[in-house]
Amino acid sequence: EIHTNEKEVTEKEVTLHLLPGEQLLCEASTVLKYVQEDSCQRGIYGKLVCTDFKIAFLGDDESALDSDETQFKNKIIGENDITLHCVDQIYGVFDEKKKTLFGQLKKYPEKLIIHCKDLRVFHFCLRYTKEEEVKRIVSGIVHHTLATKRLKRLFLFSYATAVHSNTPTNPKNHTVMFDTLEDWCWELERTKGSMKYKAVSVNEGYKVCERLPAYFVVPAPLPEESVSRFQGHGIPIWCWSYHNGCALLKMSALPKEQDDGILQTHKNFLDGIYRVIHRPPYEIVKTEDLSSNFLSLPDIQTAYSKFKQLFLIDNSTEFWDTDIKWFSLLESSSWLDIIRRCLKKAIEVIECLDAQNTSVLLVEENASDLCCLVSSLVQVMMDPHCRTRAGFQSLVQKEWVAGGHCFLDRCNHLRQSDKEEVPVFLLFLDCVWQLVHQHPPAFEFTETYLTVLSDSLYIPIFSTFFFNSPHQKEMNLGREGQDAHSTPLHLLTVWDWSVQFESRAQALLQNPLYVEKPKLDKGQRKGTHLKHQRQLSLPLTQSKSSPKRGFFREETDHLIKNLLGKRISKLINYSDELQDSFREFYDSWHSKPADYHGLLLPHIEGPEIRVWAQRYLRWIPEAQILGGGAVAMTSRLVGMMEEVRSLQEKINERHHHQTALPAEAPSLLRSSARLSSLFPFALLQRHSSKPVLPTSGWKALGDEEDLARREDEFVDLGEV
Amino acid sequence: MELGLSFSVSSSSSHYPLTSPSLHCLPTQALSSPQPLISVSPESECRPPKVAAELTPDPRVGEAWGITLHPSQLSGPQSVQGSGMPEPRSPQLGSCLASGCLPGEQILAWAPGVRKGLEPELPGTLICTNLRVTFQPCGWQRRQETPLSSDYDFALVNIGQLEAVSSLSRVQLHRPGSLLKFIPEEILIHGRDFRLLRVGFEAGGLEPQAFQVTMAIVQARAQSSQTQQYSGITLSKAGQSSGSRKSPIPLLETPEDWETERKKQGANSWRVSLVNERFDVATSLPRYFWVPNRTLDSEVRRAFGHFHQGRGPRLSWHHPGGSDLLRCGGFYTASDPNKEDIRSVESMLQAGHSDVVLVDTMDELPSLADVQLAHLRLRALCLPDSSVSEDKWLSALEGTRWLDYVRSCLRKASDISVLVTSRVRSVVLQERGDRDFNGLLSSLVQLLSAPEARTLLGFQSLVQREWVAAGHPFLTRLGVTGVSEKAPVFLLFLDCVWQLLQQFPAEFEFSEFFLLALHDSVRVPDTLTFLRDNPWERGKQSGQFNSYTQVYTPGYSHPPAGNSINSQLSVWDWDLRYSNEQILQFHNPGYDPEHCQDSWLPRQQPSFMVRGPPSSVWLFSRGALTALNQLCPWRDSPCLLTVSSRWLPRPAISSESLADQEWGLPSHWGACPLPAGLLLPGYLGPQIRLWRRCYLRGRPEVQRGLSAPTITGLQDELSRLQELIKKWTPRTSPEDRSQKGDPNPILSQSR
Repeated sequence: EIHTNEKEVTEKEVTLHLLPGEQLLCEASTVLKYVQEDSCQRGIYGKLVCTDFKIAFLGDDESALDSDETQFKNKIIGENDITLHCVDQIYGVFDEKKKTLFGQLKKYPEKLIIHCKDLRVFHFCLRYTKEEEVKRIVSGIVHHTLATKRLKRLFLFSYATAVHSNTPTNPKNHTVMFDTLEDWCWELERTKGSMKYKAVSVNEGYKVCERLPAYFVVPAPLPEESVSRFQGHGIPIWCWSYHNGCALLKMSALPKEQDDGILQTHKNFLDGIYRVIHRPPYEIVKTEDLSSNFLSLPDIQTAYSKFKQLFLIDNSTEFWDTDIKWFSLLESSSWLDIIRRCLKKAIEVIECLDAQNTSVLLVEENASDLCCLVSSLVQVMMDPHCRTRAGFQSLVQKEWVAGGHCFLDRCNHLRQSDKEEVPVFLLFLDCVWQLVHQHPPAFEFTETYLTVLSDSLYIPIFSTFFFNSPHQKEMNLGREGQDAHSTPLHLLTVWDWSVQFESRAQALLQNPLYVEKPKLDKGQRKGTHLKHQRQLSLPLTQSKSSPKRGFFREETDHLIKNLLGKRISKLINYSDELQDSFREFYDSWHSKPADYHGLLLPHIEGPEIRVWAQRYLRWIPEAQILGGGAVAMTSRLVGMMEEVRSLQEKINERHHHQTALPAEAPSLLRSSARLSSLFPFALLQRHSSKPVLPTSGWKALGDEEDLARREDEFVDLGEV
Repeated sequence: MELGLSFSVSSSSSHYPLTSPSLHCLPTQALSSPQPLISVSPESECRPPKVAAELTPDPRVGEAWGITLHPSQLSGPQSVQGSGMPEPRSPQLGSCLASGCLPGEQILAWAPGVRKGLEPELPGTLICTNLRVTFQPCGWQRRQETPLSSDYDFALVNIGQLEAVSSLSRVQLHRPGSLLKFIPEEILIHGRDFRLLRVGFEAGGLEPQAFQVTMAIVQARAQSSQTQQYSGITLSKAGQSSGSRKSPIPLLETPEDWETERKKQGANSWRVSLVNERFDVATSLPRYFWVPNRTLDSEVRRAFGHFHQGRGPRLSWHHPGGSDLLRCGGFYTASDPNKEDIRSVESMLQAGHSDVVLVDTMDELPSLADVQLAHLRLRALCLPDSSVSEDKWLSALEGTRWLDYVRSCLRKASDISVLVTSRVRSVVLQERGDRDFNGLLSSLVQLLSAPEARTLLGFQSLVQREWVAAGHPFLTRLGVTGVSEKAPVFLLFLDCVWQLLQQFPAEFEFSEFFLLALHDSVRVPDTLTFLRDNPWERGKQSGQFNSYTQVYTPGYSHPPAGNSINSQLSVWDWDLRYSNEQILQFHNPGYDPEHCQDSWLPRQQPSFMVRGPPSSVWLFSRGALTALNQLCPWRDSPCLLTVSSRWLPRPAISSESLADQEWGLPSHWGACPLPAGLLLPGYLGPQIRLWRRCYLRGRPEVQRGLSAPTITGLQDELSRLQELIKKWTPRTSPEDRSQKGDPNPILSQSR
């Protein structure tokens, strides 16, 4: 039977917080939300509402949580809020049987189970709800979340229209948006690529192509008319330049044709292009075709849908059943293997750029999925700037948003086609997480940053992830179809973190261990510059082979070593010369101490690729370790920083040093209570129905002072 | 003794007794001899080898230290000359080798080589002695204080697999008979402790030496296991340097040690019993242990007789909240105790509490054979040439079941900690033998619930008490004796501790490096700590029972006077094998000392300590408590613990841990104030990890990796972390710092 903490419904009705432009669509009262779905079922009564932005549950004891200021709280999405885009699957329970809900319903379930894309699972019991309310809420939720939508009906637009009058002043953040020519020129300057590449405005107003951004960068001698020849297909587009002058380029493949004539023109066109970029001062270009011999999008889709199922747990019994086979289940999803392959591909590209001094041209059908993934991974590993927060955000802006990754389709925001829903961006974040996990001091951001970024994919007030291309965004910003006098809508960007988090909570996105790159003095900089020049002046033929292998003796040594190495380690099976050079590069990098401000490679062996525990396990209460996890170490470090800071202050004002100020707790991490390993997410999970410890119990112990201290602790326990 | 070849180092013409493994008969100045001679000693002294006295007489003992290799295969002095060894290298090499030689150690063969796999590649010499295989890098000098090296030494027993590689073939050398048919270009020594030593031999005339050293290793290894002459080298370091040396931690070999420990725990209703002082209650028990105040020694003696191997209930740990954790062997059901005996057994189990929980230790835990099998599989998986492809790695790992066993130990320990902490009661761990999993669980429970045990000192005392003194049969379990009951229970325990270290990085004073050091110590023949099966044998060897010789075999010869208990070295004398810099790395820089301060005692929360219902007796099994009618099985059958429980997956319904039952929903853990100091570990699939730095050390590609699979790598990482912490220390003038004191004790330690 169901045990509930039957509380009297408080007089004060919990109010629904609506965002500007948000409309209430339907609601149902006396819905029971299970706290945990297992043998001892407990829950909270409340109201279930559905708006055009979210599904929200208004529990009776939510007021208690609201008063709690110390939480890592999202200002937009509450603990019991699910944005409509975040809903993954809806199940109804009919007579103990679980069925997927979609389309028109004939029967209404007694229980509603909602699986979210951020891996939360909600159980709502409708048994005590009026029948018509059940009908309304269930069909409302099913319709508004699962039915196909038109782009214009996205909440994004109602929100933007509503806040239009009082546009918030967008605080300057340092993210480069790559929507102006200057941004591209700036990036060219930064990477010293401006000698060989130029930013072009040939696509201004999207005259040439709707896939490409208005401005982009191509090799300098490339005539502009060839850009428009095949609507931007078949031309190399610059992504990034390495300091040795090699560049990472991408190209969307020319459409496949049957006609020999057209094929011949294609061939001639491409030959022309290659002639341009193969000639000095350009390095040899190696073409990396990502459409073949690499992951396919359906692979990624299947793997992820298997993988996420491991964490979408309906009840703990089910959880324990699968737990025993954890590793084989994990393996059979092959999600980790896909991550490994992505990382490996990125390392292969890096090997060309770094060790072989060749440029790399990534080719994909539209250059907007795996191209984005590989090129941004390469940049994260090679360019320390991309490991800062601003740099990472600019990178996402450059490669994914401006690069035309179809977020709308890949996230299936409009519910148009499940086939198109492939978590490519999530895969990228997971790959970056592996890097963050393996080399934490190299990144300015934390894994929490990556987790909240992944959650932001489903919040439809930010424009960043809700368009397929810059062109689509521009077209829908209201110039056409709107009154002439109205200015274009102002859309928020996800990089404005203050929209979601208070500054105290934002501190958790910042890695305290990150140290900025020490400034090089002039002499050093000159040195690297000179070396740079020398490499540029080398004849092309020599740059093909690395200077390491020249003499016969070394060559044979190398061969023997390889033979031996191959026999010794069968772990990574490589057959051809290419793979050997990859392995050599990989091994030699890992045998040296890492420079956190230089090239950074991940480990990709079997045991090294891990599950992004914070994202995937955070809603599973069983996975909580109180007082443990990486959080314990971080909070310890933060605590020490505090200590040092306060000591410094004390030293500065010596005359005050007698009156020792009690250490304040400026950070969320700084508290005397033990934090859970799921921090900062576990706190959102809490529903206290546990009787609080009677304070009288403390009285027996210790003296007054001790008592006061402990009572402080007690308060902390309650609040934190 | 035929063909007794030895490499003895001496400035005089005296010969060393080849057969004596003991140090005491050796002049110590031999070690620092400036000009060692390489000589063949044709005869050995007549002193009988000590080992022979206590081990089963073996006809081979006489030649145990001799070499049965064909003379031409040996790189003795003649062969050095004969093989055209470059003349200038000899003296240099001689002194190099000599400096590393232990008393009684003979160099069997050596060859110049290059250590590979680890960066940078080190040129040096590979030496095989009768005790170990060691690699001496060029120019590296063993320091007098650390005669053994954790980096370069491989004890012979530690050699799990030996491979010789040439450009054409690659063979494994198992038995002494296996003949190497080619000159090896490289040999790979895989340690049972997962280490890998990879030495490549240079071309250029020295190939025969490479061959000889390889064969010598094969021989020496076979001999060391065949003759079981594993004695432990009792180093007289203490005699050399500081006279009487105090053990870094109490070895619990005197009643005073036990009394001090008892007082520290605040176990006021307990006393130290001397009943087993002469090991006549049980040889596997320590000489002293704790029994309830009110129990007389005669009662103890009688009651213990009704337990398997005389291992009756003793106190393991007293919870400051009042609970007691006891351990005992299984009931000896064949005995027919009288009423009084039953009463004293019961009162000893109750220990003054009305609430008694009997924990069936073996329930839900793997059997010894399971553990051994899992460990073998794990080792096979972690071998560098395991044929498992990367994408099948995880299921192969699962297939070893090792992590599964780690998980079940953690789960059980977590449950027992909850039992001990939640109510004032007596919790009795009962395992038939009381020498394996009882120690594992009781140690884990203490680590989880006593912050003291998480300090460096506390942990070592814990291992000394619950494993060494309590008579865990290390020698048998680690397979040194060749008896069939092999099972690395202690290594399983270390893995569990490592998991805790991972999960609670700020709660432990010791570091992963320390655990690794302990892991590597179990097979190192320098001290007796892990080289005996029980306290009796250990004491016998170290000769501490001078006044009790009547207990022992008459043939036992008295050790020289002055070899007092104090001079006995234990594994806790880390400076034997680790340099000071390495020992500093034993400290976890992330440890928050706040977790273990004097706040520990007042922090106990009596509100958690609810008194149980009067005279209730429970059995804890399958994650649930069942009421029992009686404590002892003799009044009427069936008895609970005679039925051996098998390891089975827990039924799904009770899969929730006991913590949830005691403290409410797991989702409330965030809000529920767990008693301070109590840690509840996670034991879900994703939370149990592979101890990569330990198990994957032997893989070339991991060895090359930066993320510290080796001890040196780990050191780098630790120092990097410390570097980062240092960055936050205020840039103040030194006098400022001295006035203010260092804000961080850990940092000051590491400076």
